[in-house]
Amino acid sequence: MSQNPYIDVLINTILTVLFIIIASFGLGTLARTIAKWVGASKRKQENTFAGYLFAAPWIVGFLIFVVIPLGYSLYWSFTDYRVTDNAPPNWIGLSNYAQLINDAGFRSSIVNTLFLTAVGLPLMIGLALFLAVLLNQKTRGEHIFRMAFYLPVILGFNTAVLLSWRLMLNTGTGIINQLIRAFSNAFPPFSYLNRAVIFVQEIISALFLGISSGKFNLLNRVWDAGLPAANRVPMWVESPLWTKMSVIMLMAWGCGAMMLIFLAGLNNIPRELHDAADVDGANGWQHFWKISFPLLTPYVFYNLIVGMIACLQIFEPIYVLYRDNQPLVPSAISMVYYLWQTSFRNFEIGYGSAISWLILFMILTVTAIQFMIQKRWVNYELY
Amino acid sequence: MGTAWHIIKRIMLYIFLTGATVVMCFPLFWMISSSLKTLQETNSPGILLVPTHPTLAAYIEIFQNSDFLRAYFNSVFYTTLALIGTLFSVAVVAYAFSRIKWPGRNIVFFLMLSTMMIPSQALLVPQYVFFNKLHWIGSFNPIVIPGFFAGGAAMIFLLRQSMTQIPIELDESAFMDGANHLQIFWEIILPLVKAPLAIVATFLFVGLWNSLLAPLIYLQTVSLYTLPVYVSTLYNINSSVQPWPTIMTAAVLTTVPLMIVFFIAQRYILEGVVISGLKG
Repeated sequence: MSQNPYIDVLINTILTVLFIIIASFGLGTLARTIAKWVGASKRKQENTFAGYLFAAPWIVGFLIFVVIPLGYSLYWSFTDYRVTDNAPPNWIGLSNYAQLINDAGFRSSIVNTLFLTAVGLPLMIGLALFLAVLLNQKTRGEHIFRMAFYLPVILGFNTAVLLSWRLMLNTGTGIINQLIRAFSNAFPPFSYLNRAVIFVQEIISALFLGISSGKFNLLNRVWDAGLPAANRVPMWVESPLWTKMSVIMLMAWGCGAMMLIFLAGLNNIPRELHDAADVDGANGWQHFWKISFPLLTPYVFYNLIVGMIACLQIFEPIYVLYRDNQPLVPSAISMVYYLWQTSFRNFEIGYGSAISWLILFMILTVTAIQFMIQKRWVNYELY
Repeated sequence: MGTAWHIIKRIMLYIFLTGATVVMCFPLFWMISSSLKTLQETNSPGILLVPTHPTLAAYIEIFQNSDFLRAYFNSVFYTTLALIGTLFSVAVVAYAFSRIKWPGRNIVFFLMLSTMMIPSQALLVPQYVFFNKLHWIGSFNPIVIPGFFAGGAAMIFLLRQSMTQIPIELDESAFMDGANHLQIFWEIILPLVKAPLAIVATFLFVGLWNSLLAPLIYLQTVSLYTLPVYVSTLYNINSSVQPWPTIMTAAVLTTVPLMIVFFIAQRYILEGVVISGLKG
């Protein structure tokens, strides 16, 4: 193996390409032999060979990087395997799973992730739909607006962008709180609105923190304190009551991808339906709820599924904003963050495998439930 | 419903859309603005939209930081290599799923679509052990090599949808002329799906460039760090004073390639080429 990391990866890349080519021809030839054996026509044999030859990179990759790893991790989840000591894994049955049920860290990571999904995702979808409906009114400079709203998707959860948010969210000197203070001073009704929002947000967060820790004294404290003082500002990334709300704000900021999907959906609605409603004297509100929204439900469903899978896997914002920040960790960590900490900091592979399987199981269950209840509300009339 | 009311509604719409644009772009603006400030300015209370005395000190500092420059090179290097491999293998597999009829195609295609539901993190632990056995931890191999196996079911699906729309007669007449599948793929199909290919390349680039978790786990040493991993180390979570101008300068330089790629590809992405393929 070469000492230079760049040459090393280049050599391995060439070896990989050779391996893929050989494996592809092997798989193709095998498929052709089987086709010949079952007595397929010459043309069909050739197609079988070509099909498996071209699909082989994915098939081989699927076996090496998905099927075999999933099998191994299922096995390890029943063992005490640790990658650091060279001891072979010992079978310990369901101990890992039993331990997970009583693991306070894991429980809070689940509650936090569910909070982000339950509060953040509807907010994202709602905002995306709202922006799409506004942009659908054929405005001038629509392209510029589309670009601006899609930009956060490209920047995404890049560490650099997350740190820019971290700077803006500083409680004392951050620009967001400075603006809130300035508006509150200049315009008293805004101050009351701000304090009311802070109060409601803190009550909700305290309730969820209570659920994840089993102790509700924080909720009582927030409730007894009542409406916050006039000079209060949100403590975005510095209080356990705000950690998740900051992440939700970041998620809502990136709603542009969903917005594009909704715009495509709005474009597909036949103009005649709206014209007919105009004849009946429908107002804008009725146009939206009686025509657009029912026909958009397939797109809402698509965004819901894709968004949910993404929400349940959230990692980057938690890592960049809250890593090692002890007082905040229980209120902020996500399931994948907990998986990372267990597996790649403590190298408890057996325990980490059990977490992986629980995450996988949860995502599959939630997706399956969504597919089951979609019949009740998704409208496929147009399609 | 008078015209006056209509005009007022229009004006309110534009005001709102402009406001939303400002909010959406603000983090980027703030990043650039803060990178030109001094440390005192970034840590002082008060609203300072643009620095009073813009300074390039942070830029000069970061261009002398060899760790940052190496992280930049590492990011460009690994992204390029993984992008080429992934793009090519994804196109090859999409061809198999759209232009060739072979027994078992539907089953394999269904399997491929169902992998979209498996979170990559669930595979992280066993893959780590596998790469550890190969002595690949602490090298670029684990973040480059898997891409060559057509990683990314959504991307295969996208390209497959575009390739399916090309009339099959093209292939048949080429077969008459004695062409084989490799020639048809390279000379006929690929040139016809340039726009979807550009979109897939953009998505892959953004995904690779922003990727944090896999590089964080596999690279291990500072000399191999990619930009997201290195930039995250600039921010020390337990320190009360952060070198904000430096961090924001690194952030600006990290986002520049993203911006360039976005400006080149935005025409294709925003006009819904992708989405029309996703429909149905």
